[in-house]
Amino acid sequence: MHETILSVVLAVLAFLAAVASVLALRRLFKPDRAPDSQRTLIVLVLIISLGAAIGFVYRWIHVGQWQPLKAHLDGLLLLSTLLGATILFILSRRRLFGLSAFGLPILTVFLAWGICAAQWSYRPFQMATLHPVWSSLHLVGVYLGTLGAMVAAGAGAMYLFVESRLKRKTDLSAMGRMASLEALEHVIVRSATLGFVLLTLGLVSGVVVIVEQQAMPVDGFYWKMGIAVAAWIVYALLMNVRYTASFRGRRAAWLSIVGLLLLVIVYAVVISIQVPGGAG
Amino acid sequence: MRILMVGLSHRTAQLALRERTAVGGDALPGMLDQLRSAGEQVEAVILSTCNRTELYVARPPHGQPDGDALRSLLSGHCGLPLEQLSAVTIERQQEQAALHLFRVCGGLDSMVLGETQILGQVKRAYEAAANHGSVGPVLHRLFQDAIKAGKRLRHQTGIGEGRLSIGSVALDLARQVFDRFDDKTLLALGAGEMMKVALTHFRRENPQRVCIVNRTADRALELVERLHLGEARAMADLDGLLVEADVLLTCTGSTEPVLTAERMKQAVKRRRRRPLLVLDLGVPRDVEQTSASLANVYLYNLDDLQSVVAASMQSRRGELEACEHHLAQAVALSMTAIQQRDVGRLVKQLRGRFHEMGNAELQRTLRLIAAEMGSSDADAINRVIEQHTTRLINKILHLPLSRMRQPESDAPLAFYAAALRRLFDLDESEDDASPEDQA
Repeated sequence: MHETILSVVLAVLAFLAAVASVLALRRLFKPDRAPDSQRTLIVLVLIISLGAAIGFVYRWIHVGQWQPLKAHLDGLLLLSTLLGATILFILSRRRLFGLSAFGLPILTVFLAWGICAAQWSYRPFQMATLHPVWSSLHLVGVYLGTLGAMVAAGAGAMYLFVESRLKRKTDLSAMGRMASLEALEHVIVRSATLGFVLLTLGLVSGVVVIVEQQAMPVDGFYWKMGIAVAAWIVYALLMNVRYTASFRGRRAAWLSIVGLLLLVIVYAVVISIQVPGGAG
Repeated sequence: MRILMVGLSHRTAQLALRERTAVGGDALPGMLDQLRSAGEQVEAVILSTCNRTELYVARPPHGQPDGDALRSLLSGHCGLPLEQLSAVTIERQQEQAALHLFRVCGGLDSMVLGETQILGQVKRAYEAAANHGSVGPVLHRLFQDAIKAGKRLRHQTGIGEGRLSIGSVALDLARQVFDRFDDKTLLALGAGEMMKVALTHFRRENPQRVCIVNRTADRALELVERLHLGEARAMADLDGLLVEADVLLTCTGSTEPVLTAERMKQAVKRRRRRPLLVLDLGVPRDVEQTSASLANVYLYNLDDLQSVVAASMQSRRGELEACEHHLAQAVALSMTAIQQRDVGRLVKQLRGRFHEMGNAELQRTLRLIAAEMGSSDADAINRVIEQHTTRLINKILHLPLSRMRQPESDAPLAFYAAALRRLFDLDESEDDASPEDQA
């Protein structure tokens, strides 16, 4: 019953996020002169962020005890809230104009994923068997690190979009409305740095949890670990080799997108495998 | 009050004529004084820019100065024969004069459609006249409304959007690649007039380093000295500078490309994937076009920049209809407010005149009553007759004055006002609030 209510709320939020994505994309290609679309976007993103935050709190109340992040659904709600807040910040910055058009589709996907998580893969972690400090560090590191990865990927997508238009000389008269390549590269690097630090924390604490539990690895566990390490390596590359010739501009943008895709695959593997007593 | 405008602009007069008619800061107070002394209750503002000289006057309907007087004044100022001046001046009255001012403020009458500089020039002209004491409530309201409408127009429509000069478009493109310039190196290849214009735009962004390279070193040095910007470098340093530069501006006048694709390729290899924005302003082009395909090189030539200018111009023209609509509404509101103020003053005068006449008759009647009836009942009768007179005057005036105040009235308010003033011999010279009170 509770999951159904939450699914309905998530469906509404995902719909609103899809509408906001369309609006943001429309603004990117045919910007309205009236500030109405900007206000509409801000209101929509505010509703989505608040809705996701309320959903997150609702699950705490529903559980009846202070145990946040009990399942992936919680994590997705938290990520949606944080990403929504980040998009609100982006909308307020003139020099980052257009970046919201790349962040909002990601938000839509995460909310839609939340519906799936609530309906088909709702499986609370067995918190009693987990070390509270390490498991909390693991979850916070993974979710906030993912947020950094999402922002980096959004900025990366926009970098490729702006760069392609500059190269092809498409609609040059409208170019002043978008963020510069340099500003986007800064966003990619900063978000990826944040993501890298937090994902490292998540990865290390995840290994500690496994060692502490002395649990036998289950089918798919090595896949999860392998892909998580691959995602970590991508962010390590992005962060550490950006000063070398090979990892600037377009390559950095592509890497940020590949990094996010790897993280998404890690989460897909996490949801599909059974981890007895594990944090997933 | 009647609003009148006489003037000339880039639409009607050549530059040489405009230069002669321009009213400089020294001549302005004298001209304003002359305008004010041309009649009673005259308000005046003189707008003089490189593209126009316009005299705006508000005066009583049957007063002076008229259009001919304004042209004579202008003729006296610039020394041109009146006939020659009359051929290039335009005259607008009332709503048309107001609409002209609003269009000027909106940039619709400018040489570059939608430009914003004119708004500041109108504001300064108004302030100069106000400081001189030649602005009254009518021109105060008109200019304030026109300036507001000009600002609003640029906010609500796209008339001010897009760049209309090659230099500003080049800078916009640079901003699309780079977020800041205070840590960037700008390389200028060529030292001609076009380069000077382009560098003037980039100078505002405070680039960390500017290098000017020219085949004739003296000209590069001369440009450095004229702009007080950067350093002159020898042509032999070009390849090294290509590696260091972030923005490359070229305009050499060479008939063959100075920077071949191969030369650019060699430079790009050494740049370690740092982006290079190349703005080729030369005709013929200075940079071989195939260089555009090199990674991290963003190459734009004059045609590309001009296409942006043309698109902006097209976009602004597309906004004209909406702008005219906005301005027509703003003018109607402003003129109604001015006329309402005029009517308010007229109503006050008319009431005063009727009560004056009523009082005179009342005193005469009371004297007759006192003579017939004695003083015992006179006080009570006085009060009754006084009240009767006041009521009668109010009732007589109620309907016509109500109709005067209705803005949707078919007949123009100015017509009624003029008729009433003429019929009841009302004085136009009596004035009320100052502009400051009205603000």
